[in-house]
Amino acid sequence: MPIARSLRRAAAAGLALLLALPPATGQELRVGLAADALTLDPHNFRDRVTQAVTLNIHDPLVMSIGGAIRPAIAESFRQIDERTYEAVIREGVTFHSGAPLTIDDVIWSFERMTRPGAIAGQTSPRGSLLGPLASVEAVGPRSVRFTLSSPWPVFPALLAVQPIGRRAFIEQVGPQGAATQTDGAGPFRLRAWNRGDSIQLERHPGYYGGPPDLPPAAGPAPVARATFRIVPETASRVAALTAGELEIAADLPVQAVRQLARNTRARVAAVNGTRTVFVSLNNARPPFNDLRVRQAANHALDRRLILERLLGGRATPVNGVLSPESFGASPDLPEYRHDPARARALLAEAGLAQGIDITLDATASDRETAEVLAQMLTATGIRTRVQVWEGAVLTPLWRDAARNDRQALLTGWGSGALDPVGIFVPTLRTRDRANTAGYSNAEVDRLLDAAGIEPDRERRAGLYRQAEAMVNREAPWIFLWVPQDLYGVSTRLRDWAPEPSAMIYLHRARIE
Amino acid sequence: MRLTTLLERLLQLIPVLLGAATVVFLMTELTPGDPVEIMLGNEPHTPEQEAALRRDMGLDLPLFRRYLHFLGNVATADFGLSFFHRRPVAEVLLERLPATIELALAAIIVALAIAIPCGVLAALRRGTAVDRAASTIAVAGVAMPHFWLGLLLIMWLSVDLGWLPVAGRLGGEFDIPRVTGLLLVDTLLAGSPAAFGDALRHLALPALTLGTGLSALLMRVTRSSMVEVLRQDYVAFARAKGLSPRRVVLRHALRNALVPVVTVTAIDIGSLLGGSVVTEAIFGWPGVARLLVEGVAARNYPLVQAGVLLFAAIYIAVNFLADLLYTVLNPRIRL
Repeated sequence: MPIARSLRRAAAAGLALLLALPPATGQELRVGLAADALTLDPHNFRDRVTQAVTLNIHDPLVMSIGGAIRPAIAESFRQIDERTYEAVIREGVTFHSGAPLTIDDVIWSFERMTRPGAIAGQTSPRGSLLGPLASVEAVGPRSVRFTLSSPWPVFPALLAVQPIGRRAFIEQVGPQGAATQTDGAGPFRLRAWNRGDSIQLERHPGYYGGPPDLPPAAGPAPVARATFRIVPETASRVAALTAGELEIAADLPVQAVRQLARNTRARVAAVNGTRTVFVSLNNARPPFNDLRVRQAANHALDRRLILERLLGGRATPVNGVLSPESFGASPDLPEYRHDPARARALLAEAGLAQGIDITLDATASDRETAEVLAQMLTATGIRTRVQVWEGAVLTPLWRDAARNDRQALLTGWGSGALDPVGIFVPTLRTRDRANTAGYSNAEVDRLLDAAGIEPDRERRAGLYRQAEAMVNREAPWIFLWVPQDLYGVSTRLRDWAPEPSAMIYLHRARIE
Repeated sequence: MRLTTLLERLLQLIPVLLGAATVVFLMTELTPGDPVEIMLGNEPHTPEQEAALRRDMGLDLPLFRRYLHFLGNVATADFGLSFFHRRPVAEVLLERLPATIELALAAIIVALAIAIPCGVLAALRRGTAVDRAASTIAVAGVAMPHFWLGLLLIMWLSVDLGWLPVAGRLGGEFDIPRVTGLLLVDTLLAGSPAAFGDALRHLALPALTLGTGLSALLMRVTRSSMVEVLRQDYVAFARAKGLSPRRVVLRHALRNALVPVVTVTAIDIGSLLGGSVVTEAIFGWPGVARLLVEGVAARNYPLVQAGVLLFAAIYIAVNFLADLLYTVLNPRIRL
């Protein structure tokens, strides 16, 4: 049967084609992300994934590495007074096109991010990231001065996420062109962006090397190519890592830690995160307007058990607002120990010996944690029902504690700069933008305001410590923890470490 | 088909699309959640900064004005800028469509390749162990969630055996100019068999996952339709003429049995072209479904509105094409 034979042959050939191994990839560093960049315009985005990708194509003036500010395009950067900073632009920095980076590119980039309507009528969503920045001006052939309208200690940390673009290029291609084409001064230039699938970068041979004081040797990136691959499903991202298709998998879930522990190809890389997780109690309404009930809720939880069982030990418990690594953190705040008897006694003191019924609001991604918390609260008489919401609906619902009829919200707040200004003020100053608990204490407000403009670092830290001690006593929240940010990395990856700021710098990374 | 019938069908599109447009507009705009707020996120901002963004997005206008504006957009097929991408909606949507089309076609081919032979075989061997085995497999195919099957295939074929890639459409080592966006076509146009093989390997697992689920229903339809046709006089006549059994089944019976299969396939293609959220997420397949789900979560009104309308239009078009195909398969049917 000649037909059958040729069919069989064709099938065998097809199968061979299908199973053929791909050609060797050479030095390609592949990073698995949960979402794609939204745009490659360095100044017209707000989300963190886009930022992590963009800052491998465009360098900022300074970089935040391991929490420390390092000079990048700026060869030096200093604070002149509490409202003035000055940067000196490094000589010999070139864009991917070979054009030199000038002081004009720097000033224009900041103007494009801060001036309303600067992007062909559109306003950059990055403006508010630069806070009270009032002016950027040249004060010498290579010196730029930044003047703020009010003191803002996190300014250097936020400067580290502002990419410098090339004026002539972006003006030539226009805002639509700039969304998909780039000419940056970062370590990698764009090779191809296959939307939703991958962003392929290749080494910029003329790269100046980034922060010079960082080991190992500065210079162009060691890997010839870097690719961000978009794999939204967590289990698939882990599978791709263990199958050797990725060198870095971002947003690793805690459940994958055990899986990787037995794997010879990949390991876990962790960094203390910058997000404090807590249960916001509605301080404006019963039952949590009573301090004793809030304290009872804090005593009801066995945080160590949850940390160990649910989070695999990948989080640090906190008794206040600030991450232990934050500026102004208090290492010795009293802990609300797991003490169900004390919790019941406090409830009885508040006249609620028969217990209370509350609802704990949470988003779908926090459902598991919320249910564990609810179980423990219920066991001490705070009978808790979990209600799961969509984030876009839940946030506005909790805008004003006095006006909603909610009781408790499992939430968190992050400050990439690890400074109280980015977390303590918004979440606990009276009526500030993320004060979901509706907490209001005039003394805490006064301390926060004073710290915000205090130029002396030691005194400033002291003011925050006083404020956090008061918050600890008044327990506006159920204090929980600061989770680690987890990444899965190939055992062949060298010279790469996760950043607390969630940046994924590929400047120095190499594959063995 | 007469020209007037064609025109009639095209005119029917207008009220359907207008209805879909109104429903999708109201559903997106009236869902709680504010895109400006989502975009501004955690950082502090002044009321002026917020107002500027709101104006950029056209959200400072009252609902009715926005609706009129939206209808104008529908009429001109220009939906403005996607809120978060800050690029034209049409561009953002269309760049993701080829991946969805490629996967949909591949999944249908997989489904038909499983369903038709199995369905015919089950019909011919009705009541035997073969028939029962085919039915069991069909039930299993429907019952297996894509999520489970997809991850199982990844664990087995990608992680354990290392035969097929987990995610994506093409390895990073290939530089293929995107002409049609369908990588199986583009790699051939570029004259690179290695890239074609790689694209095929990337397509294999998602197509198999999606196709297996579809094949179950198609197989049941093929089987019952075939059973029905095999009872017909003309089949008995063909047999009596002394035609070979193969010829009777393939030329006379199957062709007529396929009419209901075409209907079901068309409905399947229609919904497949809307993308498959689960399969796209598991295999990192850059299709439209993921884009729209992200769009809904972020309250990206222009993107969701344009996307839903596009799929309504595609769905109607595919079903119309299926109607045309009936007349080819069975000339007795007239539109």
